Amino acid sequence: MASATPSATKVDPITLSVVRGILETTQREMTLSLEKTARSSVFNLAHDYSTALFNARPEMILQGQDIPIHLGSLIPAMKVVAGYFEGDIHEGDLLIHNDPAWGGSHAIDTCFYKPVFYKGKLKYWTVCKGHLTDIGGPVPAGYNPNAKEIYAECLRIPPVKIWDRGQPRKDVLNFIFTNMRARRDQEGDFNALIGACQVGERALIGMLDKYGEDVVDACIDTLLDMAEKQMRNLISTVPDGTYEGSAIVEDAGHGFGDMTITAKVTIKADTCHIEISSPPQIPYFINSYEGNSYSGVYLGLMMFAQLPPPYNEGLYRCISVNMGPKGTLCNAQEPAPHMNCTTTPMETLTDAVRLAFEKAVPSKVSASWGHANGLNIAGWDKRHDEEYVTMVLATIISGAGATPSQDGWHACGPECCFGALTSGDVELLEYSYPIIIHRYGLMTDSGGAGKFRGGSGTAWEVEPLNDDMTFITFGEGRRIPAVGAAGASSTMIDEKVGRLELVEGDHSETIRENVIKVIKPGDRITNMNPGGGGYGDPMDRAVEKVIWDIKNGLVSVKGAEQDYGIIITDPEKLTVDMAATETLRATRRAVAAK
Amino acid sequence: MRTDYRLGIDAGGTFTDFVLADKTGQVRLFKALSTPQDPTLAIKNGLALMTEELGVSATEIISNCDLCINGTTVGLNALIQHKGAKTGLICTAGHEDSLEIRLGHKEDGYRYDPEYPPATMLVPRYLRRGVRERILSNGEIRTPLNEDDVRAACEIFLAEGIETVAISFVWSVLHPDHERRAGEIVREMMPGVILTMGSELYPQVREYTRTSTAVVNAYLAPIMKRYVTAVDAYFQQLGARQPVRYYQSNGGLAIGQAMTDRSVYAINSGPASAPAAGLYVCAPFGKTDVITVDMGGTSFDITLTKDGSTNINKNIDFLRYRIGVPMIQVETLGAGGGSIGWIDEMGLLQMGPQSAGSDPGPACYGQGGQLPTVSDANIVLGYLNPDGLVGGRLPLDAQKAHDAVKTKLADPLALSVERAAYGMFTIVNANMVNGIRRVTVERGYDPRDFVLVGAGGATAAHITALATDMGIDTIVLPKLASGLCAFGQIISDVKYNYMATAVLRLDNDAAYARIDSLFNEIEAQGIAHLQTDGFAESSTMIKRSLDMRYVGQVHECTVEIGNFPVNAHTIDQIKAAFHARHEQLYTYSEPHSTVEVVNIESTVYGLVEKPKRMHIVAGKPAEQAIKAHRDAVFSADGKRIRTPIYDGSALGAGATVKGPAVIEEVTTTIVIEPGWTAVLDESGSYLITRKEAK
Repeated sequence: MASATPSATKVDPITLSVVRGILETTQREMTLSLEKTARSSVFNLAHDYSTALFNARPEMILQGQDIPIHLGSLIPAMKVVAGYFEGDIHEGDLLIHNDPAWGGSHAIDTCFYKPVFYKGKLKYWTVCKGHLTDIGGPVPAGYNPNAKEIYAECLRIPPVKIWDRGQPRKDVLNFIFTNMRARRDQEGDFNALIGACQVGERALIGMLDKYGEDVVDACIDTLLDMAEKQMRNLISTVPDGTYEGSAIVEDAGHGFGDMTITAKVTIKADTCHIEISSPPQIPYFINSYEGNSYSGVYLGLMMFAQLPPPYNEGLYRCISVNMGPKGTLCNAQEPAPHMNCTTTPMETLTDAVRLAFEKAVPSKVSASWGHANGLNIAGWDKRHDEEYVTMVLATIISGAGATPSQDGWHACGPECCFGALTSGDVELLEYSYPIIIHRYGLMTDSGGAGKFRGGSGTAWEVEPLNDDMTFITFGEGRRIPAVGAAGASSTMIDEKVGRLELVEGDHSETIRENVIKVIKPGDRITNMNPGGGGYGDPMDRAVEKVIWDIKNGLVSVKGAEQDYGIIITDPEKLTVDMAATETLRATRRAVAAK
Repeated sequence: MRTDYRLGIDAGGTFTDFVLADKTGQVRLFKALSTPQDPTLAIKNGLALMTEELGVSATEIISNCDLCINGTTVGLNALIQHKGAKTGLICTAGHEDSLEIRLGHKEDGYRYDPEYPPATMLVPRYLRRGVRERILSNGEIRTPLNEDDVRAACEIFLAEGIETVAISFVWSVLHPDHERRAGEIVREMMPGVILTMGSELYPQVREYTRTSTAVVNAYLAPIMKRYVTAVDAYFQQLGARQPVRYYQSNGGLAIGQAMTDRSVYAINSGPASAPAAGLYVCAPFGKTDVITVDMGGTSFDITLTKDGSTNINKNIDFLRYRIGVPMIQVETLGAGGGSIGWIDEMGLLQMGPQSAGSDPGPACYGQGGQLPTVSDANIVLGYLNPDGLVGGRLPLDAQKAHDAVKTKLADPLALSVERAAYGMFTIVNANMVNGIRRVTVERGYDPRDFVLVGAGGATAAHITALATDMGIDTIVLPKLASGLCAFGQIISDVKYNYMATAVLRLDNDAAYARIDSLFNEIEAQGIAHLQTDGFAESSTMIKRSLDMRYVGQVHECTVEIGNFPVNAHTIDQIKAAFHARHEQLYTYSEPHSTVEVVNIESTVYGLVEKPKRMHIVAGKPAEQAIKAHRDAVFSADGKRIRTPIYDGSALGAGATVKGPAVIEEVTTTIVIEPGWTAVLDESGSYLITRKEAK
């Protein structure tokens, strides 16, 4: 990672604050523009995009508060892309890229990079990254659980110019669109992404006009240095030593068995080295290339650091990361298939890092969030006689982990998105796609048990309207619930993990693997997402809190007994046998102590 | 009977402002402490102040008012403090949790904060009752309403002692019959209940927004009803000639019944009158592009008016609750006279959003406050008169201000006290400027095309600095700035929003005809409503807008259109307006893509006669109004400059004051920075300009 150039110009603290404000406002303007103009519901309803600003070196000078999935991966990707075109970057160029072997995360997240020139000199990059509706390949929406190689997943785009000195390269754009489904929406989304880059450019040039290059450059360098100092100060508070955390990626139907990811965090004074070890890559779509793995590691770090915005690359200067040997699950190489990587195994990687930090600083830990376990859908919309394809973000909204001070948020996950997603209004989804959403609600007993309860997961029940619908499931978290913290664990497991219930005529089944299936009008599927992990011993949860949860249907009477050791004698009036409860709780505590 | 007066009463967080305009154009400003426990008490106290000054009884004043207008924070406070009524929700089975899922999102800025709490539920889960029924996205009935489910919900509500109920079904906006029938059953079983129907209150697409809006409305309705009933009765007793008009957050007036039925329209009414006031004070200068900024003790409100019309927000989170109905777009920041200066973890100077409030208040109040605030900085900089605010009633302690800035900020940052104070001044200004950017640049407007109007007691000290930072060359600062919002209320019209939904692609005649007939339908309803309020059709007005987007987009742009028939001939004009707006906002348009309409809205106005303008006569030369000099700071180097202090009440029309200068009005202090020149206009406002823009 590039180191800071010492600032030649001395910065006054006032201008510094002002420049920081302008950078943040600029990024917000880009985000807003993208959300308002995009066609893909994954952007405009779900916020599955990120915007960032880079300087000419290129270092990230501002990361939006958007999706953590994109948190780390833009940093290496920008360097790869700028490096590829080094010496050939001109005013009016626009670069795109999506390929994980070229520093990307997963290929459906396509990045747009606009070099911003000022007085003939490259000053900044405005960057937008977003989850497109489709990226070509054999399976709509990109997720192909049957892919054995990356070549069977999607159109791979290495760094490519789509504008050359102000001229759109129609041949290249046409080449790309020809390889994708839903061309009309894709063209609209490209316009939206380019528009957002231009909105950022407009604001940055305004800032240079007003304050001058030297002052702005010095301010930005100072902001990077200050972020560095902030992270170093924080790391200094952690006792020196090596801490290890491990977490399990479930076998979601690939047959290679459960796999363990381990993070070894070594703290030395104000530096932190993180070493990841993971099993060899497998011919299944859950391999993570290095760029994507950075996001997982940085998210685990931020769950410990808990820093408020703004975020820039200076934060990571004192952090070094070794993703393990090439060819492993968290440092994959061609031809490993990878499309599911931003959720699986990224969330498990995040858990491993978080658990290592939990050992380092036990007082500063939040429980894990529910992992993504979701759906893509595709089919023919007879209402307009056109194709539809999308990831349904509402199907991955899980519960947040509890913290040392409060219950986890309901319906706020998954862990890889950390509350940045939105699931989209039921009416807007039914307007956009030929479906009926019968249910989108919280699930009883889904939040992990603890002194503070994990947030509830959600159920999303859908029926196709008019015509058949293909659905593709992805992710995991269907057997192992979100990992609790500070001694939290649940007894009632089945309600807390993800799964999919399929009802076809008289037949019904529960699916816990990643599959591609077709259902008909009248059939229904219900995708259920896990709750968050709890915090602290559930036997210490106040009885009245559990009663309130029962009253509100978040915990059942049975769950109260199994998870919290509370004996309810009258399920109507919710009267508690306090003596029996105390005895049961004492027994449970004694068992746990052994 | 005489109608000598018009009275505006604006209840704020700390003070309730009273503006009394009379036939001659004289406008008097009174301030009484707000009384949140009993809001009518502040009104009584304010009337007592008027009686004292005018020697006329409250009854005489009120019975001689043509209109009494009240902006209230009763609804706002109930929402902030979660002290609304116990509310029940009846919704489509399977969708009971949309209110709590909140689209699965956590607000930006708190991503990794482990202590940021979820939003408090206005209706807990056990009082959100799903009933079996379903309408589809094409308006067809999939599942008929199960009336027994509605009755079962009512049984629970009755047992829980609920007095207010919201009903909101998926796609009710396309087929409201199920909501209507459910409403009949609720009324039958729960006589006296206050009922809010989603499809009536907010007939637009988006179930979560509609349900949330209906719930907020239901939650506030009993509170508003009690308040409105008490105020109406009090004014009736004083012999009011007309029902009291209440101010709404859409920037218009409404009678008490409308405030009960549509209480959600009351929640941010305080700053919503600023645009009307801004336009009014700018009218003598022929300006219609106006940004009005209002800096009080704890907050800074920004509103924008372009070509005489004001930005309206729809479908936003307000105090963490999704509100669909139109509200004047008010950008509110934690930046006021009481905002505290502090040094953050990164060693940067920050201002606010924490405020010293009125207790203990800024250090200079001498009430025990130790922390340096904006007011303290303004004292150190020589802007504010240590002899006091509010006409000398509250003396300020300059030494305490100096000490607070020195010990808490200047010393740790190794700056002089002047430089630190100027830094505080600059940063709070920068925060305000970023706020102004959010309502201008982020919406595609160039702030340099606007006039800046100052409102609120604390703004005038910052106004030339803000304008300089935004590149704005023209400021209008009324002598009444401190009570400008109350003034805005007495010059506003009655205003109701009527909405309809029709998702239609603009490529066929049937779509144009449908839009045209929907406009006519909702406008007939609106005019009928105004007629029951007592307006003749000749004193009504209608404004139309359409929410449009390109097919495939999900979010719309609101575009205002004229009152012409919508048909094959006029449609190109409508589309062109949309393309232009899209390009202005997002740097591009797609002229060849199909455009679709989503929502239709007509705003109906009942026009109210305006009071006569203030008129100031010419006076002595401005120099004779100089009452003192202070050494004030106008630059980051902290250098002090000998600066004349003008007595504003001694200036006549045409008086010209060149910066650097300070003009002290009774309720506000205006800082004129070097390079700026203020001229007092006969309309009672200072026109402050600078010759050369940077």
